[in-house]
Amino acid sequence: MDEVLLIKQAQEGDKKALTELVKNYEKTVFNFAFKICRNPERAENAMQETFFSMVKSLKQFDGKSKLSTWLYRIVTNHCLMELRKKKNNYISLDDEENNLPDGALIPDWSSVPSDIMENTELKNILDDAINKLSPDYRAVFILRDVNGLSTEETGQITELSIPAVKSRLHRARAFLRNEISKVINK
Amino acid sequence: MKNNDVTCKDVMDHICESLGEELDSPKCIAIKFHLNECTQCQNYFKSVGKTIEFYKLYEIEMPEESHKRLMKKLGLGDS
Repeated sequence: MDEVLLIKQAQEGDKKALTELVKNYEKTVFNFAFKICRNPERAENAMQETFFSMVKSLKQFDGKSKLSTWLYRIVTNHCLMELRKKKNNYISLDDEENNLPDGALIPDWSSVPSDIMENTELKNILDDAINKLSPDYRAVFILRDVNGLSTEETGQITELSIPAVKSRLHRARAFLRNEISKVINK
Repeated sequence: MKNNDVTCKDVMDHICESLGEELDSPKCIAIKFHLNECTQCQNYFKSVGKTIEFYKLYEIEMPEESHKRLMKKLGLGDS
């Protein structure tokens, strides 16, 4: 069914329409939360909080943005709040001028296999690398590069300007690449 | 250049976007010329593309139990 109609029906109290909307987005929200939190329990918690907020304030949803953008904003805020509570020693990239390797020979990664889901060691490397990245940078990287949202949408969700999204994205990519490279090129 | 799913165009889009440049801007064209000649840069940008690909592929299946708990929390049926 058309999403606009589903939203209208759900706003008028139709539980079937609301259930349909939740089902349409639950996997996307869960997977996004997992990619930010790197933990299935925390991802489930973030998903529950996101849809709880959606149900509470659906009547205020005016349709000016896409429902997916609205949900991404809620789940991003929730995940960032949780990560900030942990007070990890995230690496700050705010003052990084440039993450490019200087002078050293850069190995060719063509032979590195991509079968990530079969490779526990590689998964651990990816988790370790992204867990060092500060939450704000992490969210921009996942929204834009991993989930494929536009720069504009990423800016709306994170409340960052377009240049700020681009700058964070560039630094996050370089940081993650360099962290993974330390292990892969050993 | 073709490396798995990452193409030259992907790499160029990423670089130029990071720099806030249009794809046909003089700076972007100059970068493209340099990239064609420089193995070091090619390796670097291929590895950035591969990094993104790794994180895209790293997903988990949402457990059925998570779906049931969500429906229960929201007080929704599951028909």
